[in-house]
Amino acid sequence: MIPLKYNVRNLRVRWVNTVLSILATGLVVWSSCILFGFVEGLQYSLNVSGDPLDMIVLRKGSTNETNGGYDESKADSILTLDGIARDPQGRPLASIELLNIPVVERRGGGRANIIVRGIDPVARELRPSFQIIAGRDFEPGKAECIVSKNLSKRFAGAGLGELLVCGDKEQYRVVGIFTAGGSAAESEVWVDRQDLEQRTGREGSVSSVQLRAASAADYDRIKSTIENDNRFKLAPLSEVDYFAAQSRSSLFLKVGGTIIAILLTAGAMFAAANTMYAAVRTRTREIGTMRALGFSRMDVLFCFLGESMLLCLLGGALGLLATLPLQVITYGTSNFDTFSEVTFNFRFGPLVMGVAVGMTLAMGLVGGLFPALRAVRMDVIKALREV
Amino acid sequence: MSQVNSIVLENVSKQYRRDDFVIPVLAGLDLRIAEGEFLALMGPSGSGKTTLLNLIAGLDYATDGQVIVHGQDLGELSDSEITRWRSENVGFIFQLYNLIPVLTAFENVELPLLLTNLTRKRRRQNVMTALKAVGLEGREDHYPRQLSGGQEQRVAIARAIVTDPYLLVADEPTGDLDRNSAEEILDLLQQLNRDFNKTIVMVTHDPLAAKRAGRELHLDKGKLVKNIELRPEYDADSVSAARSADHQSIQETAS
Amino acid sequence: MKFLGYILRNARRSPVRTFLTMASTTVSLFLTMVLLSYFTVNDAVADSIKLLNRIVTMSSQGLAQPVPIARVREIAALEGVKAATPFSWYGGKFNEEVMPFAQFGVDPSTIWEVYDELSVPEEQKKAFVEKRDGAVIGRRLAQDRNLKVGDPLPLKQDLYPVDMNLTVVGIYDGTPDRDLRMCFFNWDFLNEELKSRANGQMADNAGVVIAKVASADLMPTLSKAIDASYANSDTPTRTQTEEAFAKMFSEMFGDLKGMIRWISLAVLVSLLFVAGNAMAMAMRERTTEMAVLKAIGFRRGLVVTLVLAEAVLVAGLGGAIGTLGAKVFFDLVDLGKYTAGMLPFFFVPWSTALIGLGASLFIGFASGLLPAIQSARLSVIDGLRKVV
Repeated sequence: MIPLKYNVRNLRVRWVNTVLSILATGLVVWSSCILFGFVEGLQYSLNVSGDPLDMIVLRKGSTNETNGGYDESKADSILTLDGIARDPQGRPLASIELLNIPVVERRGGGRANIIVRGIDPVARELRPSFQIIAGRDFEPGKAECIVSKNLSKRFAGAGLGELLVCGDKEQYRVVGIFTAGGSAAESEVWVDRQDLEQRTGREGSVSSVQLRAASAADYDRIKSTIENDNRFKLAPLSEVDYFAAQSRSSLFLKVGGTIIAILLTAGAMFAAANTMYAAVRTRTREIGTMRALGFSRMDVLFCFLGESMLLCLLGGALGLLATLPLQVITYGTSNFDTFSEVTFNFRFGPLVMGVAVGMTLAMGLVGGLFPALRAVRMDVIKALREV
Repeated sequence: MSQVNSIVLENVSKQYRRDDFVIPVLAGLDLRIAEGEFLALMGPSGSGKTTLLNLIAGLDYATDGQVIVHGQDLGELSDSEITRWRSENVGFIFQLYNLIPVLTAFENVELPLLLTNLTRKRRRQNVMTALKAVGLEGREDHYPRQLSGGQEQRVAIARAIVTDPYLLVADEPTGDLDRNSAEEILDLLQQLNRDFNKTIVMVTHDPLAAKRAGRELHLDKGKLVKNIELRPEYDADSVSAARSADHQSIQETAS
Repeated sequence: MKFLGYILRNARRSPVRTFLTMASTTVSLFLTMVLLSYFTVNDAVADSIKLLNRIVTMSSQGLAQPVPIARVREIAALEGVKAATPFSWYGGKFNEEVMPFAQFGVDPSTIWEVYDELSVPEEQKKAFVEKRDGAVIGRRLAQDRNLKVGDPLPLKQDLYPVDMNLTVVGIYDGTPDRDLRMCFFNWDFLNEELKSRANGQMADNAGVVIAKVASADLMPTLSKAIDASYANSDTPTRTQTEEAFAKMFSEMFGDLKGMIRWISLAVLVSLLFVAGNAMAMAMRERTTEMAVLKAIGFRRGLVVTLVLAEAVLVAGLGGAIGTLGAKVFFDLVDLGKYTAGMLPFFFVPWSTALIGLGASLFIGFASGLLPAIQSARLSVIDGLRKVV
């Protein structure tokens, strides 16, 4: 085998070309990784939320909390069902919730729909990682709200102590900032349910009931009651399924991201091939010499493929490293299932890693293959005469 | 197999094909080279001397006839077999040295040894011996561009002998050197021929260089036109007989 | 220019490199076009909407909140309003597909006055008014789903608690920059179904109200007047031009928008490195020749020009193929078909294509600059010596 240091030193000798190629491939890998880091972050925020015993009860035919609701009396009856888990005080772990989706100004311009969730006290226990990190919890009846940490940074009037204006009648004083373990709640504003009912004129209606079953058997029994009993005729969905269906909007990003990544890889492949063709061309006599000394065609093939891989790996590594600073930034976009803002953090997970590795391999191998084949097919005698 | 005529060319022809043209380079050539001989190939440009060298070195195949080197009919070897054969039997010395510019003198010489199964330690020993043989101890960490032309060619010679090949081929080894360096390189080749019994085939334009060989062979238009025995005592039978008795390889000398 | 032949021959001298550089430029510009067009199309459509003098009234508390149906009549009665229609997003499933295409409950007697840029045959307009369960769909939607007048169009509930079993009674058409994949049906039909089958849940909700205004200068005053008159009601409104309403959706992309801009920029910068690299390699292989040119009396300026011209030519050509290719490609391939109404139309506007072309010329210029200066600075002696 032709030693790797031969490749390393050649990359060093023509360092201008090497640096330019590495920067080019690095940028390409970087931008694809950002895209998929987005996708991964979005998916994570939607998927982390599901507990297998948790159930979300929607109006029949609805696939989403934000798509209309049902009568409060039905919701109240759900709370009386047997088999719902209870907290230490003996209250059922079931929360009636009402959603409103006002348009709010983003800090720095632009508007987006955000979810304002009217909750009962028990709702907090159904989000296990719920935690107030600044200020205090809201008090019912005082038009107070708590805002997720991500939203408070991103929306006008959502900072601690500020007034969040959701409409002419719907305005809340922000008294606390909370986190919820990266779950979907991190893109929400929470208020007292009665407050929300009054301010939006929707007394007596609910968007969903969220509950936790005491056991898997209870879960199944509650599910069939809610589905079939004439009192209800509602749609009980497992929280896991519910959020899985929501990540459909990340599918759009995923498909788009894949197309972008493929085009980017193709572009970078041409670039890598260009660099490697030049490498083969300028080293024709060296290749001839190696072949004369007894290195086989395979040796030459691996040598130049290896160099191409090395070049692209350096670029890929650079691109990956360059995504590190992005992980501390919070992003927001709209979830097109709920038409409301969803915030998330860039996540460096297996998807990003896979994209980076896949792109690098494709660029290095395909980009290097044709130049390497040219080196392999070279006529030894002619190559030796090359000046 | 005859030790005497250890390179045998019988009725060798070589033609190149360019589109519809057939360009004959060598036609019906017969040649015998004894083991341990130092042969100079002379002739004007286009006479076919380099082509002949390439055939003997296993870089190219004859169109017709047989090329037998050290008992091996080269025409029978496939491309990958002949590549392997070259690495074991032939050392190359080029006009432009053809050192790999990004490798040090040591690494350049070590290159052909990477094709063997020798351990790292063994390789190091052999490289140092070869560099010592060409008088370049202490220069092993220099890159080619830090060496003079004569020194570069010495590194190239060290690379050619480090695997202890049976045959050395040299294509205009002094063509790019000043007179003094050229003389030194020729001294070295003579020494390798005399002390280590290397068979050397050298293509050259330089009559003075050719005079250092044991035999001068002149080609013109693909045919042998003149054969000059420069040192009759090199007469095949006696030389070979004498040499085979105290035959020693470079590596054996070293250890 | 007498040197054009020389430049062309230089570009062709290493066909593989020129091809690869061009291919890389082509792919990058194609991608940039796709990314940028995604937003410029939205803006272009919003701009064209401007001329249509429509205002949209929604609940000031967001799209999820209702606007009472009575508002339609009230707004239509205002001075300066030509016609008004409810516009209620139904969002039903079609063949179990969630959000297959956009569906709106509208007033069949006024919708074509409000959307006067869409064309529907008179007898179909009449059928739409008369047939309670009638639906008028866009030409492209009809093509995609192979629907024709008389076909049933069953929509299943998702947002609303009732199914809508519709029948296609008409097909509307319009210019290519209009959404030709919508489905309009009778708002009254939806409302009656809600009352008879869902206890009146979500009934009497207009969704939003879209009104056609007589002239553009009336729009701001009308909008203010509408919002002012409902400010103290149970259902305060927010009225804006259709353009602003459409922009609100585009703003919803949030950081995605900025990110796509960044990616486009990264692609172009990366391309600059690629092209610059190729040009630097080309120049290095031609050092001697540059020296020869200078030796026979070519001036520095001319050498620089020759190198730059070649770089601009290669990048420009690749860029032209990429941008114009993207334009032609998306004119021929209707992307809207595959995006389930997320993207009703997609094309590359000329303005965007020209920006792309300009960017590729600039990249060619910038990538040739350093190598050009280097070859101009090259001493003749050094250059010639390099051959040996």
